[in-house]
Amino acid sequence: MDDFYVPATATSPEIDFRFSSNTLGIRGESYPENATAFYGDALRQLRLYLALLDATHVEINVELKYFNSSSTKILYTLFGMLNDCISKGNDVTLNWFHDEEDETILEFGEELYEDFGQLNFRAIAVSAA
Amino acid sequence: MLVNPRHPALDVAFKAVAEPTARDIRLDSPVLSPSQTNNEAFQIFTAHPQLVGLPVVEAGRPLGLINRGYFMDSLARPFRREIFDKKSCTAFMDDAPLIVETSTSIQDLSFLVVDTGKKALTDGFIMVENGHYAGMGVGIDLVRMISTMQAQKNRIVMESINYASVIQRSYLRSSRGDMTATLQDHFVLWEPRDVVGGDYYYFSRFDDGFFVAVFDCTGHGVPGAFMTLIMASALDHVLTHENRQDPAAVMATINRMVKVSLGQVTEHGEPESGDGAAGAENDMKSDDGMDAAFCWFDTQTNVMTFAGARTPVLVSRNNAEDIDIIEGDRKGVGYAGTPMDFCWNNREVALEKNDCAYIATDGITDQIGGERQIAFGRRRLKELLRTHRHLPMSEQRNALKRVFYSYQGAHSRRDDVTLFGFRV
Repeated sequence: MDDFYVPATATSPEIDFRFSSNTLGIRGESYPENATAFYGDALRQLRLYLALLDATHVEINVELKYFNSSSTKILYTLFGMLNDCISKGNDVTLNWFHDEEDETILEFGEELYEDFGQLNFRAIAVSAA
Repeated sequence: MLVNPRHPALDVAFKAVAEPTARDIRLDSPVLSPSQTNNEAFQIFTAHPQLVGLPVVEAGRPLGLINRGYFMDSLARPFRREIFDKKSCTAFMDDAPLIVETSTSIQDLSFLVVDTGKKALTDGFIMVENGHYAGMGVGIDLVRMISTMQAQKNRIVMESINYASVIQRSYLRSSRGDMTATLQDHFVLWEPRDVVGGDYYYFSRFDDGFFVAVFDCTGHGVPGAFMTLIMASALDHVLTHENRQDPAAVMATINRMVKVSLGQVTEHGEPESGDGAAGAENDMKSDDGMDAAFCWFDTQTNVMTFAGARTPVLVSRNNAEDIDIIEGDRKGVGYAGTPMDFCWNNREVALEKNDCAYIATDGITDQIGGERQIAFGRRRLKELLRTHRHLPMSEQRNALKRVFYSYQGAHSRRDDVTLFGFRV
């Protein structure tokens, strides 16, 4: 299926779903006016992709600096979908990038890991260039 | 190309709302007939230095448009005047300019102009009425008209939001009154990001204590403000003398009320989508709620009973070095993903004279700023509260505000901000 790409704006992240190489990426900040509408297409595509997946290794790279509460709900939905696909024989690595001093983002990642224990969660601290 | 994007019958309906049309920027312009010469065109351009284009019209029908720059450049070359002066003015005419009916709305017109590339902006365009030449329009007038319309729309929206803010603030009046009458030393920092917002607070005094709620509804701006009024009026209804000491029960009741009133349940009382997945793909269905801290404080015993929905209480004890964070439960109130019968927990926090307690929404801790452009974070907030604990609450507020503002710096505010604090 076709890859899915949406460029970043000031209030919404870059979405780079390379289904062809089983690599997914979300990068930037997420506080669009309507998060449900913004992520609608991405989630639909992801659902189609996951439905076809069979014994595959998927890598998702998440590098978010800020996301509002409605985006948080979407992220939970998204990681829930990935978590579920593991029980069907796939494995998913979540690379959770955070600034080495950003406890807020790190803690959120750790919360995700508590809720979606099937994901192979890796927190990756990024130092300031 | 003749463009009449709207059926004439529709025009009547559109006139009722007085939407500006091409007619509003129509200019009378000198015109030429194809029997006239380039020399005559040259004379007209010379006599009217502001003219960007000169329409050529035959028997009332527009034939084309002569662009000033192109025409003058062409004639300026050697021997051109001699060759072309007496020939028809159609020689250098653009025979496919943008032609629009005067009834075309400004919005449609601007799309048509953009579609022609730069041409219609620089050369102007021809207007017709029922196919008959009616005048010209130029790019600068179109841009001016669009700017005016935009400014007017913004003004109307802002007036409406400013008035919404009057309503949102009015609803806080009784809470503020009760707060001032009950607490000697306290502060509220309440800053909706967009004049109105989804952060709110509620305070009610009783003979033996007070009930305080700080909450962060989904969304900010106008939709967020709708939610705050739903939540605050739900609290008004639900909170009674009987349940005041049981914030978890009050929270559970509001959860049920909100889920039913916003239709976030099926007829069987089940959430419509357990993981929120179906909801996320249907943007017409409401999946709204709030993160909140509800507290009952008993003034006789100084014990605070706290129920939290993804919102902690911070306690700065008089005799302790560090700030305690007392976490709530990790479910929001009212969301489609929160079960109808979900039970939050009451946590009892024994406070002593001079201890300070604070409730903050995530607007402070999540704000991006600082040198590294990362979230403010809890660590910074705790450090600030610790440093300024000895100050009167109103001065703590000012100190916090100063540090927070300077951390935010030139970054835009990401969310609504609320911080409530009181000293026992």
